[in-house]
Amino acid sequence: MRSKRNADVILAVSVTAIIAVTVVFLLFPVIVTAFMAFDAREFIGPFPPTDLSTQWFVKFWNSGYLWSGFKNSVQLAVAVTVVATAMGASAGLAISRMSPRWRDLTTTAFLSPLVLPGVIIGFALLMFLSVFNVLPVFPRLLCGHLIVTIPYTIRMTLVGLTGISATLVEAASSLGANERQAFFTITLPLAKNGIAAGAIFAFAFSMDDVTISLFLSDYDTYTFPVALVGLIRSHFELTIAAAAVALMGLTVVLLLALDRVLGLERVIGQGVYRT
Amino acid sequence: MSVLNLKDITKKYGELAAVDGISLDMERGKVLSLLGPSGCGKTTTLRIIAGFTSPDTGTVEIAGKDVGHLRPYERNVGLLFQDYALFPHMTVAENVAYGMRHRGTPTSEITTRVLRMLSLVQLTGMEARRPHQLSGGQQQRVALARALAIDPQILLLDEPLSALDAKLRLELRLELKEILRSVGATTIVVTHDQEEALTLGDEVVVMNAGKIAQRGTPTQIYEAPADKFVAEFVGRSNWFHASKRSQSTDGLTSYVADDGLEIRTRASRPDSEGGVDLCVRPEDIELVDGTAPESAPSPEHNVLAGVVLDVAPLGADVHVVIELPGKSRLLAIRKNVGRGSEILPGQSVRALFSASDVLVFQR
Repeated sequence: MRSKRNADVILAVSVTAIIAVTVVFLLFPVIVTAFMAFDAREFIGPFPPTDLSTQWFVKFWNSGYLWSGFKNSVQLAVAVTVVATAMGASAGLAISRMSPRWRDLTTTAFLSPLVLPGVIIGFALLMFLSVFNVLPVFPRLLCGHLIVTIPYTIRMTLVGLTGISATLVEAASSLGANERQAFFTITLPLAKNGIAAGAIFAFAFSMDDVTISLFLSDYDTYTFPVALVGLIRSHFELTIAAAAVALMGLTVVLLLALDRVLGLERVIGQGVYRT
Repeated sequence: MSVLNLKDITKKYGELAAVDGISLDMERGKVLSLLGPSGCGKTTTLRIIAGFTSPDTGTVEIAGKDVGHLRPYERNVGLLFQDYALFPHMTVAENVAYGMRHRGTPTSEITTRVLRMLSLVQLTGMEARRPHQLSGGQQQRVALARALAIDPQILLLDEPLSALDAKLRLELRLELKEILRSVGATTIVVTHDQEEALTLGDEVVVMNAGKIAQRGTPTQIYEAPADKFVAEFVGRSNWFHASKRSQSTDGLTSYVADDGLEIRTRASRPDSEGGVDLCVRPEDIELVDGTAPESAPSPEHNVLAGVVLDVAPLGADVHVVIELPGKSRLLAIRKNVGRGSEILPGQSVRALFSASDVLVFQR
């Protein structure tokens, strides 16, 4: 008996230890980055920094190159979010009304871009678009990002819709609501969380993507991640760490705002409307 | 005047006729149970009345008007769904108000009517709750209030109690009956549960394979079933198959069952190729000690000797299974009268039942 008890204790301790190690492993790079962003040294020295300063933030603030990329990225991400959400939600709603056989087939067709690596999508799109060579860079980037984000917004809309029983719409109908009214009072409010989750994903993907954007950017128009990659290649210094910290701050603010508006639990958890 | 009139309704799915030429009319304020096994077409019938399914042939008239071309939201039919279909993102009050909102009831009237409906189903004070905060029984009552709030010409209940546990089902069945009576709503209850059908309905329509097998009061359905299907589906029954008729005397007909037992009946049917099926309800069977000297209470009584195989005391009733000489079994249900009269497995008994309690069906 005693030995079994001991085994339990050992097991519990090791599980805790594994969790701790995993957390440190996941957060350590973030912590290092956060500290290094405040490094007072002029070069990338060993961790931890010997002295603290905000010089990298000042550099980041004054870097026209990075700001231009940031501005492009935000504009692009907003455009991607709007278009991908509108198209994905419409497609998802349409797919959910299909017969099961067509539903699976269409969903698979729509999700197929996800199996391709971004490099291939970026390169293929670059080749395709240079044949016609009419689109400016911004719409090109928009196309590239939409290919990957629309499958996600469709998927999330479908996930959001799965919990909604078909009898709800019938109930609305028997109570006197026509198709349009039933859609706006029942289907859309219930699918809202799935659609919102898709929108968040689209925004995050667009802000983060390097592989596709790298192929579609040019000298004048580039995204923030592309600018960061360019910077770390040309100047090996810590402005990028400051930029990363600034981005983290922005993310936290965005998440807090979303939590206030929608309730983060609901957007991510998707479990509220299950009864 | 009849509120609902179905004429020759047929609906086919592929080759299979879900509803096969049903005609049905209903008076105002009555409760009609549509009873049948799953797949008998009762749900399809309900969906046709509500307007979710359009029949291949036949007409649906509500209050004398043909509604065949009207969408569900253009009809005035209240529907209580099996899973209640409460709107999860709305409060109880919003759920109940939903129908009135979409039918142009003035806002001031909606508020008072919601309160009245909720007091009718005894949910006063629950207005601000969400469906997921309610118990199954409460959800069912909200759904009922929502369906009644639009003051429907016909109220359709689809398996209204099947999602609840047995004890709650019994309570709510009586409550539902009272509510329906107090509102005076013309109601169709679709169910596969015979108890539900017999207690709720003023009349019962038994359906089988897309057709109406019998329509009648609960008593008629149980005591004078129209055919073997109805007799078998409603209530419990013991069956004997007989191909030979021996003779008739004093208005009694004797049949010799396949296992050699002789059974006398009051009812007489003309002979048929396949013989007849004889049916005895278990509660019509009286059991007496098999060791006592044989004495039938009257010449009308059938007496079958057998051995008790199993005794199951189920509260108010005791179910006794008896094995007859021909290895066939007989179920007898007797009142649980208490100590002193217990029947034990292995005991030899005689089963008595009157010839007038034997139902005869042609094959």
